[in-house]
Amino acid sequence: MIGKGVFTIVLSLLGFIGPRPLPAHPEAAKKLLVVTSLQDLAAIAREIGGKYIEVFSIAKGYQDPHFVDPKPSFMVKLQRADMFIQAGLGLEIGWVPPLLDGARNPNILPGSRGYVDASKNVPLLQVPTGDPATLRARGDIHPYGNPHYWLDPLRGKIIADNIFEGLARLLPGNKETLQRNLARFKKTIDAKVARWVKMMAPYKGKSVVAFHNSWPYFEQRFGIKVVAFIEPKPGIPPTPKHLVKVIRIMKERRVKVIIISPYFSRKSAELLASKTGASVIELAPSVGAFPEIQTYTDLFDYNLSRLVKAFHGN
Amino acid sequence: MTINLTRLRWPLILGLATFLVVPDSCVRAQEIQPDSLSHGADSVLFEKKLEEELAKELYGGSDTTRSQEAIPTQPQGSPSTLGGILNPRISAIGVFMGSVTEKGAASNVYDAGLSEAELAFQAYVDPYSKADFFVAFHRERQDPFFGPEIEDGSESGYHPELEEAYLTLLTLPYGLQVKAGQFRLAFGRINTFHLHALNYVDYPRMYVNYLGGEGLADRGIGVSWLVPNPLDFYQELSLGVTSGRVESPSFGVGTNSVMFSVHLKNFFDLSDNSTLEVGFSALHGSNDPHNHKTLIGAADITYKWKPLEENLYKSFEWTTEILVSRRNSFVESVTSAAWYSFMRYQLSRRWFVAARYDYSEFPYDDTRNEQAYSLIANFFATEFQKLEVQVQHGVPSGRREFNRVLLRVVFVIGAHGAHNY
Ligand SMILES: [Zn+2]
Repeated sequence: MIGKGVFTIVLSLLGFIGPRPLPAHPEAAKKLLVVTSLQDLAAIAREIGGKYIEVFSIAKGYQDPHFVDPKPSFMVKLQRADMFIQAGLGLEIGWVPPLLDGARNPNILPGSRGYVDASKNVPLLQVPTGDPATLRARGDIHPYGNPHYWLDPLRGKIIADNIFEGLARLLPGNKETLQRNLARFKKTIDAKVARWVKMMAPYKGKSVVAFHNSWPYFEQRFGIKVVAFIEPKPGIPPTPKHLVKVIRIMKERRVKVIIISPYFSRKSAELLASKTGASVIELAPSVGAFPEIQTYTDLFDYNLSRLVKAFHGN
Repeated sequence: MTINLTRLRWPLILGLATFLVVPDSCVRAQEIQPDSLSHGADSVLFEKKLEEELAKELYGGSDTTRSQEAIPTQPQGSPSTLGGILNPRISAIGVFMGSVTEKGAASNVYDAGLSEAELAFQAYVDPYSKADFFVAFHRERQDPFFGPEIEDGSESGYHPELEEAYLTLLTLPYGLQVKAGQFRLAFGRINTFHLHALNYVDYPRMYVNYLGGEGLADRGIGVSWLVPNPLDFYQELSLGVTSGRVESPSFGVGTNSVMFSVHLKNFFDLSDNSTLEVGFSALHGSNDPHNHKTLIGAADITYKWKPLEENLYKSFEWTTEILVSRRNSFVESVTSAAWYSFMRYQLSRRWFVAARYDYSEFPYDDTRNEQAYSLIANFFATEFQKLEVQVQHGVPSGRREFNRVLLRVVFVIGAHGAHNY
């Protein structure tokens, strides 16, 4: 075993390239660095942590959250992070594990003080049943239930609870302020949800078609119905035969709106639109998907106003 | 050499199947029962036509055969348990390979077979460490068209082999990480990757001729350090001290001195959409029981472009590696070199095309060299299944030039393997 003294000397000798401050101590006056997998989690963390934290999101809102590249530069960010928040449920399975392994930061590994799984206590939809060995036959990317739960603002309050719990662990001295921020966030959401639900009431039960199965929580909250997906199964690109089926459903159900996300090709959606006379609208799957969506409530303001406009146009 | 057409049938069938098995089944079965929809003969005809039309728009051709239903529908049953809670992540990887070689004036030479079956077990050991095990069954076969001429029927069956088995300590201070066990050495751009994870069918000649047909793995200890630097870019220094008793053209099994490996990896974000990686490596170890040494120095550069917003559909990658080796022996010391360059462009969500050029001398002979020109197409059915076709023109040393087509199907079941960048 090498003594810690020798160790430090060797390291300082090697450190000729220049020292770098170690991660800020939780109790220090310096802001905590909170790294999140998604911009939605970053936006909520910002509401709760306020001036005590600095937030960085790995995925951008206009990126498909299932397929993000684990660039080593993110490891450098994570190495210095005081907290890491992810959506969980296998959403980030292709890129978060190698980033956490490479970051060499024991404070943010699953199970440690600085790790937050935002899906804790979130009631899930579409949890697969049946033989686990057939999961991939049903499409490969939602093995633990649908992970796009931040698209329901009431579930957003549960996310906020989880983030609050994590921040309070690291900032026990500021717990009261954090608590106040949490309460204010929840109050805003409640007031907004009441307004949003009312705004959507005339369109209850309206059918739409979506590209990927990322909307069940949104549907449940706002009463629209996604009756078909352009993807035959989550993660599988569309085929002509499947599109024929979708066209049939669109005609039967008189579907007039197709929703897609900025990171999917518009081609198949536009093809469907041309065959059915429906209109294609781009909704935001996450905060940051479009420049005007900066906060968590912006996300719903944007999406719902787009939807209302699209339903109105028909 | 086996000239057996029935053995070749399978790669072709499998290959075709990969194109046909584009799963397609319904939307939400609970909500829309296709059977309940009015569906007369007229509409069937209409839909058939529509399908062809859509195919033309989507693919620019009229290939509707891709939409065969081939994947079983969801069975009903008890809630999934997703495996035992304490089991490690387990995955099994199959690699099927086939080749057809036109060898000078001689008749075509076929080969096909399951070239590798690999089992991977990965889990956290405790809050401080993680363990990785990779056991592979290889079909041991030297490339019959490159390198020294070998006897026919050199195939020696399947050999189980512990590819890697190591513990990684994750919670050390100062950005350090330690690996202990048997592992692929940090060297060059691709030595730490498993062969099936690379996007070409045959290993670059530089690696085959200097490190070995499967790259270089050894038993020992590896320490890596995330080097703090004022510019704040990713810089990782890896050092390995290992047994040195490896089967490799550059190093010897019967040696009695350790091997040292060093790799410095530098990674830069040029923009949100493009990155640059520059690496420097060295290997030092004995090549015979008399402690004659081989020293290898190498450099690698990789540029990647992948627009964030369209990262499912577009990307470009260019990698070049170069190596210089100095090998001492009783008679002489040989300084030789090798390099390759690889370029890959993504055409659509599932299709990639690539090209590679190989030049390689030999550790024991700098007067001879071999070259290879390859064109490659990759088709990703999903993240878990890919098909690769490689057309290669080979210029071996002192032997006849040849053209060949290599085919590879890689498939994975089990835990979701994360991909490295
Ligand atoms: Zn999804």
